[in-house]
Amino acid sequence: MTVVIGFEGSANKIGIGIIRDGEVLSNPRRTYITPPGQGFMPSDTARHHRAVILTVLKEALEQAGLKPADIDCVAYTKGPGMGAPLVTVALVARTVAQLWRKPLLGVNHCIGHIEMGRLITKANNPTVLYVSGGNTQVIAYSERRYRIFGETIDIAVGNCLDRFARVIKISNDPSPGYNIEQMAKKGSQYVELPYTVKGMDVSFSGILSYIEETLFSMLVEITERAMAHCGSQEVLIVGGVGCNLRLQEMMGVMCKERGAKLFATDERFCIDNGAMIAQAGWEMFRSGQVTELEDSWITQRYRTDEVEVTWRD
Amino acid sequence: SLEVPFPSSHEATIALRSLSPDREPRKGGISKVITVSGSTLSRWSADEARILRVSVNSFLDHLSLVMETMDMFGPPVAM
Repeated sequence: MTVVIGFEGSANKIGIGIIRDGEVLSNPRRTYITPPGQGFMPSDTARHHRAVILTVLKEALEQAGLKPADIDCVAYTKGPGMGAPLVTVALVARTVAQLWRKPLLGVNHCIGHIEMGRLITKANNPTVLYVSGGNTQVIAYSERRYRIFGETIDIAVGNCLDRFARVIKISNDPSPGYNIEQMAKKGSQYVELPYTVKGMDVSFSGILSYIEETLFSMLVEITERAMAHCGSQEVLIVGGVGCNLRLQEMMGVMCKERGAKLFATDERFCIDNGAMIAQAGWEMFRSGQVTELEDSWITQRYRTDEVEVTWRD
Repeated sequence: SLEVPFPSSHEATIALRSLSPDREPRKGGISKVITVSGSTLSRWSADEARILRVSVNSFLDHLSLVMETMDMFGPPVAM
């Protein structure tokens, strides 16, 4: 039996989760929400996380009904993400790891999303579309690496949607993307706009003025292309933008046409959370990885394919 | 330089090992050394007062978070 606690705070969500052998025992989370028209800045976000992190940690232990002695490993987000919030969270993770005398594990945030998606959906070896405010990548597993097949050449799709929401001053509560989706459901007119797919990659900065249809079609196209290359019959969508039902619907249509299966998780797990860091940490820990304190520095840039995936064949 | 007392050298060492891994955000113009001898000692040298102030402020914020964590989730487990 292995119990891992995971700390996540690379963007505006701070979450701490506990996993025991594939069971999510607790996963509390808080979101730093800015007024309409404003994005979130690193120092304000770090301040938000700092104010609540110890409370959330207490909640995670209490909701799981566990004591620190029951924990086997402390996992935290090493990167990628915003520097100041990453440091705030890493400080607490390093401190409790030492107080409780538990090994520490630095986890790649993107891999956290992937491993949570695999755990919840039980997808076998899917082509992964990772879409969030900070990241847009199409990923396939091959020989101990999560290979990046295609990605945004400029901004993440979630960033594009968030900036659009800011321009038209949509509320950021619970998230700008969610509110765009609700408004889009009532829309009936499609406006033709630049569609920018370049081979395996996409570009979003030229098309900041609108609708999901175009953005999501681009993502479906590059996912399909990666599936064709890998001969894959499964798609897993992870990341906050993955909550979007329209994206899931459009991906579902493509999958049906190919006889492939679509997997996605709900907002508990596609939005940044602590348990996903715990799950990736669980896999890494069980395959013998550990992070020494001197090497536990955080990093704003951390590519998904930099990690050796020792827990898969 | 800044000297911070801790209840034990073990706790001072915990603080040191939590605070030292991350690099200073600004590459040039600042150097910071943290050491432990009974209590925690930090020593800075910077080219400009402004850079020094930012680095010290940041350090104090981080230090207070580490100390609060130790208060709430300590004392350290015995060997």
